[in-house]
Amino acid sequence: MDKEQLNTFILLLQNVRKQPSRIFDLGLIVKEPGSELQADEIFNEVRKIVDIEQIIYDETAIDEKVFEKIIKAFEGNKWIFLEIKKDISSPLLNQLKHLANYNSFQLLDYRGKDVFETKMPESSRVIVFAERDFIENKITYPHFYTLFGPVLSLE
Amino acid sequence: MPETFRFKSPEEIREEEIEARIKERGPEGEILGGIIFEEEEVIDPETGEKTIKRYIYIGNPYEERPLIIKLETYATKEDIEAIKREIIPMRESFEILVAMAMTYKRRQPLLIEAPTAIGKTYLAEKFTELLYGRGVKPLDFYCSGQTDVSELMGKWVPKAETEEEKRRWNEFLELSETQIQISQIAQEVEQKTWLSPEQKLNLIRTKLQELAKQAGLSERTQWQFQYGVVPKAMGLIKNPDGSFSFDEQKGEGFILHIEEVGLAEPQVIDVLLKLRGKRGQLAEEIQLWENGGRKIKSGPKFWVFFSTNPPEEYLARNEVDPALARGVVFKRMTELSEESLRLASDYYFTYKLGKKPEVKPEGCILDIYNHSDIGKEVAKVIAAFHNDLNKELKKGEKGRRQRIPLTLDDMARVADALIYNQIRDKETGRLDLTATLINLINFYYIDRLADEDLKETMKNNLKELLEGDTGKIEFEGKIITRKEIFDILVERASLPEEEKRRMKEKEEEEQRRKLEQAKNDAEDALDALLKNPNIPDSIKKLLSE
Repeated sequence: MDKEQLNTFILLLQNVRKQPSRIFDLGLIVKEPGSELQADEIFNEVRKIVDIEQIIYDETAIDEKVFEKIIKAFEGNKWIFLEIKKDISSPLLNQLKHLANYNSFQLLDYRGKDVFETKMPESSRVIVFAERDFIENKITYPHFYTLFGPVLSLE
Repeated sequence: MPETFRFKSPEEIREEEIEARIKERGPEGEILGGIIFEEEEVIDPETGEKTIKRYIYIGNPYEERPLIIKLETYATKEDIEAIKREIIPMRESFEILVAMAMTYKRRQPLLIEAPTAIGKTYLAEKFTELLYGRGVKPLDFYCSGQTDVSELMGKWVPKAETEEEKRRWNEFLELSETQIQISQIAQEVEQKTWLSPEQKLNLIRTKLQELAKQAGLSERTQWQFQYGVVPKAMGLIKNPDGSFSFDEQKGEGFILHIEEVGLAEPQVIDVLLKLRGKRGQLAEEIQLWENGGRKIKSGPKFWVFFSTNPPEEYLARNEVDPALARGVVFKRMTELSEESLRLASDYYFTYKLGKKPEVKPEGCILDIYNHSDIGKEVAKVIAAFHNDLNKELKKGEKGRRQRIPLTLDDMARVADALIYNQIRDKETGRLDLTATLINLINFYYIDRLADEDLKETMKNNLKELLEGDTGKIEFEGKIITRKEIFDILVERASLPEEEKRRMKEKEEEEQRRKLEQAKNDAEDALDALLKNPNIPDSIKKLLSE
């Protein structure tokens, strides 16, 4: 893996805030078809640079548990490494879109509030990891790529 | 015929004053109006009590005779000024804001079909802030092929005791048979018109218990109804502390933005059609059969804004449902004009939006955000490149199923990264602006391309634009490449303050010298004319005057 590319990717995620709202981007790491690299290896490399929590979104994952984990990671000022292994459900897509647009989570009837809104802290970021084939063939949301700013492609 | 005179009423004078402020422009022709803030003293007719109310006026400053909409706001003057600074004053932005203000005032649902780059989501947020103050966001809902009706309207949820029970119920809910059974329960309740509300609720609970049993949950499971985003938005109350509460009968209502409605499946559209009311307005209430036919009142400040991207941005995608399109104020917009794109680029690269860094950040060789002359030149390059690539991407890309249209965010990212990620020229030690730009454009624009041929073409185009003969433009009277322009501007901006002062003095001295020379030349020429015997005295007299 090109560590310099990974460092640039992390650096841009850390520093770049889009004008005019000063919003941080979500990052996407794409594993290309020929790549031998595994998600865990990438996660371990990123973990050497920033404090990060891994969340695997697969067949066993329940949306509300995923939300809880993300909110807890934010409360601990941690980054999130979200590995996508099944098509994104509507509730998760809603939260990812809200994170991309406003850097915040918006949930109804959560933690005793009619509208629960929590901001992603300045020191947290979200990196989504997925395989290219999976994105192209399994993810049904047609604007998946537009959720992200920097994209790191692993050849 | 005698000229007719008429006195203008105070209202007319006031209207003209507001219109002039809406159309106000700065010394360089830049838009300063569009949105204005006013405070007015209002006397309560019953109590006689005087209160100060805040209002905003929104109009399109590009129009000769703009329609101006007045709305009450919770935002302060400072809020409005700050929000205005965050809106790039493009013609399209004001078209959208005016459409929002008009339909909001009339309680009409609005649907805007426009490309990704136009800023629908961003302007929905800014419109909400204009009405409620900084930091307040609309309730947002994003449609996709997977959207479930219950997310919009509401659902019964079991109070599952253990993690295992939660997992089992969630798995059960994902089954299509379950979804069918749940919608059948609502239909059955809807048809049994002779039942009282209480009997309807009992029927629902009995049916849900049967479902719980099928899912492997206990028969004694407790159930609760969770409202979806539509009834929530109808009955929300924005509290003074910024939090929200909900009252299904007496709520104020709030702004609901339903995005990508073009992706919604027919059953979701059917539910959204319930929002249609009389005379093109929003429904005053909706009835939830899922909750035994309970009615939810729509508060006076409830407003729905639908947005979607045009069908050509997707592959295998339906157009907006005709019934939905008929039930809303439907506005279709095309791509940002090249003029707007250039304006946006200029705003991003001269860092006019929001605050500039107070201290030069790490990784920053030249404080480019303080040099608008450099920003303006960079903006021209980025706007041209962005426009070219966007045209190519609209044709679709080889090797990619999804289409990735460019957005203004791509420019914004390059602008921000240009502050933090600069490359140094090894020979001069100054910022190498050309190398930095190539690097960032590669990262943010070119690396995303799946089509290798297009990648190569765009890289070559960029090189030609920056360093080639065809990219040359006139700069201070000379035809040179953009790279040469960047080098000149960076060199000037990198000079120490003392050197800059000396340069400025030298330039001013040179200007003075040229003026003096021109004056002397003119005097000599005049003298020569006056001494010329062939020129008549009458002309000489005029010349000497």
